[in-house]
Amino acid sequence: MNNRGGLLAGLALGGLIFCLGFIAPLLVTADPYAIHPAYALQPPSLMFPLGTDELGRNELWLILSGSFATLSVALPAAALAFASGVAYGLACGLAPAWVDHVLMRLLDAVLALPSLIVLLFFAALVPLNNISLVLLLGLISWPALARLVRNEALAQRGRDFVLAAEQSGASRFYVARVHLLRVMAPVLVVNGTFMVGDAIFSLSALSFLGLGVQPPQVSWGSLLQSALNIIALDPWWLILPPGLLVFASLLAASLTGQGLLARWGNAR
Amino acid sequence: MMRMVARRLAASGLSIFILVTLVFFMAHLTPGGPAYSILGLKANATSVAQLNARLGLNQPLLQQYGLWWWHLAHGRLGYSYLLNRPVGALLWRYELNTLVFYAIAISLSTGLSILLGLAQGVYFGRWPARLIGAFQLGFYALPPFFIAAMLVLWACVRHRWLPASGMVDLRLAHPGIASYAAHLVLPVITVTLFTTASLSRYFGEAVHEELGRDYVRTARAKGVGFTAILFTHVLRNALRPLVTMLGLSLPYIFTGGVIVESVFNYPGLGWLMWRSALAQDYPILIAIVLVIGLLTVLGNLLADVVNGLLDPRASYE
Amino acid sequence: MNAVLRVENLSAALPRGGRDVPIVEGLNLTINAGEMLALVGESGSGKTIAALSIMRLLPPGATLTGGVWLGGQNLALLPESALRRVRGRDAGMVFQNPLAALNPSRTVASQIAEAWRVHNGGGKNTARVLELLGEVGIPNAAARLGDYPHQFSGGQRQRVMLAMALACAPKLLIADEPTSGLDPLIARQIMELIARLRRELNMAVLFVTHDLSVVEAHADAVQMLYAGKSVEWGSAKQFFTHPRHPYSEALLGSIARVGQARLHNIPGSLPEPEARPPGCRFAPRCAHCQPDCEAAFPPPSQFGATTAACFYPRPVQDRHAGVEALPVTAPRRFITQLQVQHLSVRYAGKTGWFGAKAAMPALRDASFSLGRGECLGVVGESGSGKSTLGRAILQMLPYEGQVLLEDTDFAALHGAARCARRRRLQLVFQDPRESMNPRLRIGEIIAEPLRLQGQLPQAALREKVETLLRRVGLNAQLAGLFPGTLSGGQAQRVAIARALAASPDIIVLDEPTSSLDVSTQAMLLNLLKDIAYTDALSYILISHDFAVVSYMADRIAVLHEGRIVELNDTAALIAAPRHAYTAALIAAAPQPRGV
Repeated sequence: MNNRGGLLAGLALGGLIFCLGFIAPLLVTADPYAIHPAYALQPPSLMFPLGTDELGRNELWLILSGSFATLSVALPAAALAFASGVAYGLACGLAPAWVDHVLMRLLDAVLALPSLIVLLFFAALVPLNNISLVLLLGLISWPALARLVRNEALAQRGRDFVLAAEQSGASRFYVARVHLLRVMAPVLVVNGTFMVGDAIFSLSALSFLGLGVQPPQVSWGSLLQSALNIIALDPWWLILPPGLLVFASLLAASLTGQGLLARWGNAR
Repeated sequence: MMRMVARRLAASGLSIFILVTLVFFMAHLTPGGPAYSILGLKANATSVAQLNARLGLNQPLLQQYGLWWWHLAHGRLGYSYLLNRPVGALLWRYELNTLVFYAIAISLSTGLSILLGLAQGVYFGRWPARLIGAFQLGFYALPPFFIAAMLVLWACVRHRWLPASGMVDLRLAHPGIASYAAHLVLPVITVTLFTTASLSRYFGEAVHEELGRDYVRTARAKGVGFTAILFTHVLRNALRPLVTMLGLSLPYIFTGGVIVESVFNYPGLGWLMWRSALAQDYPILIAIVLVIGLLTVLGNLLADVVNGLLDPRASYE
Repeated sequence: MNAVLRVENLSAALPRGGRDVPIVEGLNLTINAGEMLALVGESGSGKTIAALSIMRLLPPGATLTGGVWLGGQNLALLPESALRRVRGRDAGMVFQNPLAALNPSRTVASQIAEAWRVHNGGGKNTARVLELLGEVGIPNAAARLGDYPHQFSGGQRQRVMLAMALACAPKLLIADEPTSGLDPLIARQIMELIARLRRELNMAVLFVTHDLSVVEAHADAVQMLYAGKSVEWGSAKQFFTHPRHPYSEALLGSIARVGQARLHNIPGSLPEPEARPPGCRFAPRCAHCQPDCEAAFPPPSQFGATTAACFYPRPVQDRHAGVEALPVTAPRRFITQLQVQHLSVRYAGKTGWFGAKAAMPALRDASFSLGRGECLGVVGESGSGKSTLGRAILQMLPYEGQVLLEDTDFAALHGAARCARRRRLQLVFQDPRESMNPRLRIGEIIAEPLRLQGQLPQAALREKVETLLRRVGLNAQLAGLFPGTLSGGQAQRVAIARALAASPDIIVLDEPTSSLDVSTQAMLLNLLKDIAYTDALSYILISHDFAVVSYMADRIAVLHEGRIVELNDTAALIAAPRHAYTAALIAAAPQPRGV
């Protein structure tokens, strides 16, 4: 597959998932959580295109409302993480050396922990709802980006064009705004794309472990977990859709990010 | 070389100090605090005060912090609230299980990554490399819980080839090594698949990059054959980023581990962390976070040392 | 005839943007035993690709046609396995940038031994390695067998490369830009080493270079490449005294030489391989171009010992008449503008956890003054502290001592006053691409100093930018482009325009021409001279190239190991160098032609 094709496929897939999460749920007229014991565990049919779960709920409705729950938490979280990471990284990159040193040591210690572990730790401690999840995911997933931005800022800061601007009286703020952010724009967009994928993955993993989106709301992760609880009954129609949706989201983020990287990689 | 290791050790020590401090304040400054976590958010004030007194949580924060270091220094990680057993001993048992599991999975994925990466670097731009690239992209995007669920569905439910959960078959009086191995197959496959996806990608890129370097052209100009160039010149230089990645990915492999161990009910550290998080058993959580932090710092240190051995310039500076 | 290498009608094409683009077209050359042929061309002429295609070391996807005859075999048709036995055994190769060309993680001895072992078998061959290292002049070779490439100096690394190429005593040595990137004195040593080895081993040498002055003293034959085609070839002696192709003549005239009054420049720049003109490739830039030059590629015509592919070859001229000697005038007098007193710069040593290493001074006790409209040249090898000196004057580094601009010490100024003063000192960097933000348009880049200086209405700003672009000889339309689309020479002119935008008193030129081709370099130097003359600008010109400095500077300061060892008027310095290092620099620089 060439890079252009990959980029287009990634964007198309991403757009499709976005529509599924934010437009399709509007079409749901019935209560997705309504229980119909008479129709429990039906495989896909004309009446239930994606079958039903062990409580007889329509899996299609569940998937759609789960998509909304997943995306409405993951996307703001990714945005928050992105903003925090860029701000912290730029602050490190522009601050005097000793401030940078202290801030980076702090970051090292935080980076020493995989984000899912920190997430689990906090998810166990704070009351979980959609807003706390956004804050949790957003405030915990940024250190890697911060380090990248800082390293990039430090590398760019010593480049000749920044020195030339400083010779003409450019302030730090001017250098950051005009030079650093513009040069780093491709790196930032690419990593922002990857971050959306990461946020969806982290949220799904948390939900899968029972510490993400809380019942009665469902999400891709929790749907997969509840299917796994009755896996002995071979409910393949309950496992495939949520799993494939997470897969498709990560694939979309990855294809888009790699496509952009290939496109801009040599434009430095 | 020794200087570099000493410097890295000092830096790692500082990282661990900050980590311990962070973990302490993270746990004590979260809204509600541990008492609410144990008793639930609707607990009344008197029972919270009683519990705080029993756990020493009513003392000034700094004093608690000092006490925490004192206990840590003596290897006392506290008692599990729920299991009411000392955390240290509990942790050790679970950690051993995790280590066995990961030793196998990491060796397997490293070997596989080197093979795939070499092929990808050599055949860059041609169909074998594209095939490997598709594999990498696919398994990078497949979340481990989905891989695990599909594997269970296929190998345990449909075909009943392998056990779906646990570490040994509880129905056997004396479970042998075979039963243990059978329980490891699916978790190891899951971890290997998603680890290999990213590791081999890094290595493949490194091989491709090294093959394009000037010294490869020099070797060709000397009349050295391609295979010899690959193994005597390129491999060693390309291994460096792989080693760094391995060091860095130790904790991330473990992250996948929480999910995999929870799917397969494999009693390792990740599983323990999951159960403790659900039960809000915070001394265990803190201890596990510390252990993982330590592992990470050690992983990075190890990667640096190995790279120092691979690269003569690292010890030169 | 005793031809070692015969190349017949060799063409090479590389895949670019989905199609094969011809890089080298119809190359013919012959080298005899003990003879050195210089394959000369500017960047983009295809000379490196030509050298690589002889041994078929081209990047994957390249296509090759024609014949390469070495030792009775046509290498162009040989299967890879047979070719491998020829590489290294019958022909050794030396490349540019030896640090990258050597494997960083294997010892030098093992890499040399490998070159021998591949063709002759055997184990470590320490004796042969020692013999080779001695031959190329590595002192105390026995103690250095376990060392890695990064532990050698630049010149020594190139010697190691030579030892490797000579391991199997090949009949042919192909040297691809072996001296570029090295300091002039070192480059000269390497050149002399290759010339000596050629004589002692009776080896044929193909010497690929962009710099005619490097091969002037040693080459037996010359072949000039321009945009993929040979334009002139034959005896080196006749080529250098009587070049017949207009390009050869122009290029020889654009090389800066010690004591030269005026450099000749070639307008325009080399065409990209995708956009080579039909007919004579040089026609669009040629001063003697006639209409039929653009119709067809001129056939070769022989003139004694050289052959040129030109319809209107240059007549033989009396070289002595052509050399404009430096007019002997009294040194110009200047009003002092900048004073530098006891300037020292110390880079902080690496501070680790186990105490700081002693700080090494990069520059020690430099004192001089600079007059209004004067050009001070600063020469020295890499690591001599010449760039540090420039940056300290520009207030980019902390330093000890004083820098006074019009009797005001920079140390006494703070805040806005300091900023305003600092702005009056501008600089032009070595690499023009690196000195411009690739995501800003040319117009924005030039307008930056103006905008930082204060509010100007948008229209006035645009007008100012256009004036500046024209001032440096560029089309005002360029303002809307990004730097990536410019050629090196154009980009450097934009950098000069940006420096001028701040209306400076002094411009520090840090190696302004060393990343440019010879023909572009002459044009830029002349432009800088004109600007200085009309605007009464002062320059501090920092360069490793003594000839360039002597062409530009009123006075020259020679820096060696962080100290100014000599400072004098240019003419006096050349006539009577007082320091041995100065004398060596002058001797290594290109000398006037025909003298």
